[in-house]
Amino acid sequence: MILELLSVGLVISACLAIFLDEAVYSVAALAGTFFLTSMLYALSGAVFVAVFQFAVGAGTLAILFLAGEMLSEKPAKVPQKNLLSLVAVGVLLSLPAIFLSVSGQTGVFSAISFEEALWDLRAMDVVLQGFVIMTVALGIVIILHEKRKGGK
Amino acid sequence: MDYVILSLVLLGIGIYGLLTKRDLLKVFVSVELIATAATLNFVMLVPSVGKGLGEAFLVLAFATDTCVSGVILALLVIVHKKYGTSDIGDLVKIEESKKDEVEA
Repeated sequence: MILELLSVGLVISACLAIFLDEAVYSVAALAGTFFLTSMLYALSGAVFVAVFQFAVGAGTLAILFLAGEMLSEKPAKVPQKNLLSLVAVGVLLSLPAIFLSVSGQTGVFSAISFEEALWDLRAMDVVLQGFVIMTVALGIVIILHEKRKGGK
Repeated sequence: MDYVILSLVLLGIGIYGLLTKRDLLKVFVSVELIATAATLNFVMLVPSVGKGLGEAFLVLAFATDTCVSGVILALLVIVHKKYGTSDIGDLVKIEESKKDEVEA
């Protein structure tokens, strides 16, 4: 039951983070999202992930609060009716996650340890890095080509 | 309860924000939501792929998430410093007026 409540809160705070007009309120809602995600992980038994999520979230939010305070232009008041409708939308959106199910769990790599996965299976990671670097390089080449065309 | 659907819902909210919001800070918040959805998916895949591989994927996901946050925040600060606004519509207008000035 508590996990369901946490997931409803997670979707509501995500909706608030996107739809609230003022930057600081939006960042506060994002803080709620991070905190609830962390709680969800901890209560599901993934304490390692919960600690990571909490640490990364705390760092991101500290900087975001500063940026939001510095860069936001004019404070806008949030109408009560709008806030209530956002909460209702959040509750509605979280219903499929509570009542539907699509995942079937099968063990494929279950014998692999953390060290093995991190150090022996780097091939996938390296291939992905290569793909990202190739894409960036291609993008730079296209931009330079277009600039040169524009200069002529 | 199904965490895959929960992560899909979060991903949907994030993509909606990314496509509709004009403020760069909101775009950043949307990217964070998408990253949270991806991480949630990784965490809930752990029982099927094994704890070790799941943890390794997670470390990589968190590292990527942090790098993306840093880059977007740096871009946000640079854009605000250069143009004095973080609204994408205003930025497009400024760039268009600059182009018109150059052409004239």
